[in-house]
This record gives sequence, C-alpha cells and structure tokens, in this order.
Amino acid sequence: MSFFDIFRGILEGMDVTLTVTFMGLCFAIPFGLVAGILQHFLKGASRASVTMIIEFWRSTPVLVLMFMFYYSLPTVGIYLSATLVAASTLGLHVGAYGSQSVRAALQALDRGQVEAGFALGLRRPAILWTIELPQMVRAMLPTFVNQLIQLVKGTSLVALITMSDMTHRAKEISQLTFDPPAIYSALLLAYFILLYPITIFGRWLERKVGQGSGKLMEDHGRGV
Amino acid sequence: MAFDLPFLLQILKAIFQAMPLTLAIALVSCAGAFLLGFAFEILRRVNRPLGLLMRLIIDFIRSTPLLVQIYFFYYVLPYYGVVLPGVVVGGMALSIYYSGYLAEVFKAGIDTIPAGQSEAALALGLAPMDVTFRVIAPQMLRNIAAPMGNYFVSILKSTPYLAVIGVAEMMGMTLEIASSTFRYAEPMLLLGIVFFILAATMAWCVRRLEVRLMQSSKR
Repeated sequence: MSFFDIFRGILEGMDVTLTVTFMGLCFAIPFGLVAGILQHFLKGASRASVTMIIEFWRSTPVLVLMFMFYYSLPTVGIYLSATLVAASTLGLHVGAYGSQSVRAALQALDRGQVEAGFALGLRRPAILWTIELPQMVRAMLPTFVNQLIQLVKGTSLVALITMSDMTHRAKEISQLTFDPPAIYSALLLAYFILLYPITIFGRWLERKVGQGSGKLMEDHGRGV
Repeated sequence: MAFDLPFLLQILKAIFQAMPLTLAIALVSCAGAFLLGFAFEILRRVNRPLGLLMRLIIDFIRSTPLLVQIYFFYYVLPYYGVVLPGVVVGGMALSIYYSGYLAEVFKAGIDTIPAGQSEAALALGLAPMDVTFRVIAPQMLRNIAAPMGNYFVSILKSTPYLAVIGVAEMMGMTLEIASSTFRYAEPMLLLGIVFFILAATMAWCVRRLEVRLMQSSKR
C-alpha cells in the first residue's frame, strides 16, 4: 500500500469525525451559553449547583467521561448509540469550558449598558438577547474557536468505543499492512490538514480581539 | 447495577494503588512540557526563519490529537528499533503535546514584559543568556503561573490516555478490573469521581495561587 492509498483509506473515516464534531457542537453551544448565563445570574444554592455541574464536566477527564456513560447508561436501562454518547460527552465537556468564557464576557460588560436598557423600558431577557449577547460574541469567539479545535481532536477518542473515525481507520489499515511510519504520519497529516486552518483562524482572532494581553492570559490553560 | 460494597472497595483499592504512578507521570510530564515549551519559545525568538519553523512545529503539535501522537510514538519508534516501555512513550507524548500549549503561554508571558527591560539589561552589559534567565524569566514566571497551572491540571487529566498503550495508571488499572469481571459501570463511575476530586482540588489550588499573585502584584 502506498502512502497515498493509506491516506485515502484514513480519509474514509472523515465523515464519522465530522458527524461527531457537528453533533458535539449541538450539545456544546447550548450548554455553554445556558450554563454560563445561569452561573452569572443565579445566586446562592442554585448557583452552586450550576457550578457543580460545570465543574463535573470540566474536571473529569473526557476519556473517563466517555467510558463512564458508554458503559453505565445501559445498566440503568438507557440504550443510546455510540455516536450519541460520544457526541454528548465530548460536547458537554467542551461546552463546560465554553461556559466560563460566556460568564467572563458577561461580567466584563459595562453595567451602564444594562441600566440603559432598563431605562429604555426593556425587560431583562430582551437586554440579554439584544444588547449583551451581540457584544459578547466578539470576546467569546477566540475561546469558542479553540474549543472547536479541542472538540475535533477529542473525536479521535471515539475510536476507543469502536466507531470507525479516522483514528480507527488507521488502526484497521495497520492490520492489513505493516507500515506504522506511513500509517501514523498519514493520520497526523489528516488531522493537521483539517485543523491547521482553524488554528490559524483562531490565532488571527485572538490577535484581533485580545490586543491587551491581559485578556489573552485569562483564556490560556482553561481550554484543554 | 446492584450495590456491591466488596466490589467497590476492590476497585477503589486498585485505583489508589495506581494513584502514585498517575501522579508521577503527570509530574514528570509537567516538567518535560515546561522545559520543552520554554526551549520552543526561546528558539522562536532567535531569528525569523527559525521563528517561523518553530511556529509551524508548535502549530502542528497543537493541531493533532494527543491520542494520535501517543499512537505515533508507540508504534513508529519500535519500527526503527527504539523499543521503550509504555510509560516512557506516554510521558514523552504528554510532554510534547503540552509543550506546544506552554510555548504559547510563555510567549504571552514574555510579551507582557516591556522591551525596555531586556534593552536596559543588555545596555548594562549582561550576557544575552543572563538577560533571558535572570531578567525576563523570573518576571515571566509570575505572569504565567496561573495559566501554566491550568495546563498542569490538564496534563493530570490527560494521563488516562496512556491506558490505551497499556500503562497501568488509574484508568489502566480500572479497565483491567472491568475487563476481567465484565462489569464496566461501577469501576468507570468510581474512577470518574476520584479523578474529579483530584483535578478539582488541583484547579482550586491554582485559583488560590492566581488570587494571591494578583494581590501581590497590586502593591
């Protein structure tokens, strides 16, 4: 098998990688927004419980989360497809990280904006939706792009719960032909081609948004 | 999933037995990622061609999954006659993967130090090495302590990846019990709880450190 054949074989797993990514986003974005907003607005015990949920998804290793739900849900009578389990665990893990940038962006906005909204006779949800959220997007975007990269990279884990993504394809090919250097270089290359444009885009966004490096530093290290 | 105390205790015992190895891997990988990341960042600043090359390397590391990097080292090195135990390969992969992120942290940390500092130090006749290690590095470390701490937590949370190449850290031990008893639910839940407590505690310490550093730099 030539390097080109191997590479083409690996790309056959691209659809699973992309499917899990898109489904994961369907979990990550709503969860990140809702959890971050709730954490900002709630007080006391209800806030603590939201924080607890976010921390659970953030602080438990994603591989452990995935195995946990993949194997535990059937024992309580819930049977979900591997795709759904993978997408939801990856998505919620990434979304929990995203929620922190939502909350930070909300806190960073000038209080006067909300007061002006009230003065204009708007209700709180309307202020959030029409005044605060549009302004937050700018601050949140770099983190969201970084999280998207983490999500795509995270999909490589679905190979471990028997789904035939690019990583799994590489393992399959390695059983047909003994050529680890070509197979795993091709696999690295496949992910690099997929993710490098997003990495560059994220770097560009970060430079555009976070001119003051203070904001940049805040983001670092929260995202992996 | 019936409640079975002896089984739970057996799992917990295995997890705690594997905890020192997990922590040791995390610690060594933190040190490795720190040194390598710092080296990457210093090399990036030497001159423009080298800077662009280092940037490509760092971006490559950041744009490929950790799992794939682990597989790469685990399967490709033996092909060229370099046979290393899984722990070593895993620690190496963790160090390399996170060095890409730490290099970015170092970059942000160095960028916040005014250029006048190194110019002044050079003007005073300090050797370039001394400027890097005695003037820039100490100030940078304080700037980046918090984000770096967050990556160290991430390294701890990434140690379960090593289970896929047969390292008997916490996840590996748990999987061993699970596959020998055909009961996956309880071991995985317990492992999740233990990891959650470990990582949350570490993250809490990092936040405390962040608050203290912010207070001390206000003075």
